[in-house]
Amino acid sequence: MTTASLHLSGVSLGYAGRTVLRDVSFVIERGEFVALIGPNGAGKTTLFRGMLGLISPFGGRIDYGFDRRASPPGYVPQKESLDPIFPLTAYEVVLMAAAARVPPLWPVGRRRRGLAAECLAAVGLAQSAEQPFWALSGGQKQRVLIARALAVEPEILLLDEPTAGVDLGAEAAIVDVIARLNRERELTVVLVSHHLRLVRQLVRSVIRVADGSATKGSSDDLLSAQRIAETFGAAADGGS
Amino acid sequence: MTALGEMLSPDFLLRDALLGSILIGLVCPLVGVYFVLRRMIFLGVALPQLSAAGVAFAFLSRSLLGAHRHGESAERLLAIVGSLGFAFVGLVVLAALERQGRETLEARIGVTYAFAAAASILFVAADPYGEAEMTHLLKGDIVTTTGTSLRLLAGVLGAVAVALVALRKELLLVSFDREMALVLGKRAGFWDAVLYLLIGVTISFGVMTAGPLVTFGFLVVPPLTARLMTRHMLTFSAVAAGLGAATAFVGFYLAYRLDLPLGPTDVGVAIVTLLIVAGLRALRARTS
Repeated sequence: MTTASLHLSGVSLGYAGRTVLRDVSFVIERGEFVALIGPNGAGKTTLFRGMLGLISPFGGRIDYGFDRRASPPGYVPQKESLDPIFPLTAYEVVLMAAAARVPPLWPVGRRRRGLAAECLAAVGLAQSAEQPFWALSGGQKQRVLIARALAVEPEILLLDEPTAGVDLGAEAAIVDVIARLNRERELTVVLVSHHLRLVRQLVRSVIRVADGSATKGSSDDLLSAQRIAETFGAAADGGS
Repeated sequence: MTALGEMLSPDFLLRDALLGSILIGLVCPLVGVYFVLRRMIFLGVALPQLSAAGVAFAFLSRSLLGAHRHGESAERLLAIVGSLGFAFVGLVVLAALERQGRETLEARIGVTYAFAAAASILFVAADPYGEAEMTHLLKGDIVTTTGTSLRLLAGVLGAVAVALVALRKELLLVSFDREMALVLGKRAGFWDAVLYLLIGVTISFGVMTAGPLVTFGFLVVPPLTARLMTRHMLTFSAVAAGLGAATAFVGFYLAYRLDLPLGPTDVGVAIVTLLIVAGLRALRARTS
């Protein structure tokens, strides 16, 4: 039995015929905690979307070490990507994902409702269930979105800049939730982040996206001062 | 007997028109909720107008082909075909252009509205026959609603309402977070098509029964009012539908009592309600 959660072999990704990343190959093991780093415009989002299955590779293969239908990836977008016009409570946001596993025309049963409440509790927001989602702080919103991702009962959690635009206290709470989920539930976690200090604290493996490709290595290697300077240019200080 | 007493009497002469008006007031906001949430309110102006152009085109085609069948059923069937056809073609074209994303959505909807408004007038002007009947249909003369057309309207709009409730979780997920829906394996394009189908059917029957102005009014204004009053999705839809039905009843009462045209009265009542709710909300925000 394979221990790979995600296996990319010779993958090329891009948009509208324009290749952004070429010949990307790496394996993410089950239970691994990986950060996706790279300068703006290098193709982090492209790779992230490819790993989620939102864009199809031009070439190569992406294999999942789990049944995507039974256990879809837990996707945590940036909170700004959602429209505040929707009148939703924190619980309704989470329930929406739990309910998505129920076939059309079937009612959402007690188990799914309970699961949504459990997921909110798992991120420390059980008390905020009936709060309007948009009235929550940035950090709380992000934790609700993590709870939403958990509600699909995923094997892998993919987070897009989960600590962007939140204060230090909220960042600590988010990081604590993610690290705990990885440790206690043995969830595979892939995190896109610009916060190299945070990445250093959290992960042992890093996927570096730069120069039209992506390589995976240890955080000790890819986050060394020399490699950071190579990846981000001379302006990077490696500690931001 | 008071006007209200007359309206509530089972023998009320305009009972079918009143019930038809309330049905449209009830179901159009259920669809309109998605116009508001997906920020495509202007589409709510363009599509009813396009639907009206479809009615005019169907009558013009009949006249040009020399096929003059008379009778209410034949005319209504013709209107349904034209209205649905134009609404669906418009939706398909707009959806296809949206995927290409060459221009802004507002520009496309603006062009659609301009085309539809001009085409409606030109089709009416070019039609040598049946202008009176067609004008009734274009204006959506709800007062002429008959038992047969009311039953048809109730069947169609009832089915739309049931579908919107039954498919609520899919339509909401695709509208709120399309990428999440795709990651979860939902066919977002299919659910968009289902929503557009329900929108097209509602608008077509709304336009034929009550005209483009009232249809647009009920699609947009009650959901906007409900948005100010609710913080749950379920109550948002329920309050929007309730406000629409209440607006239709009050509008009908005022139009009957004061001898006013029904469509503009309905829209006026809906807007006054929106202004009152917005004013009360602003007042509460200031005092709290």
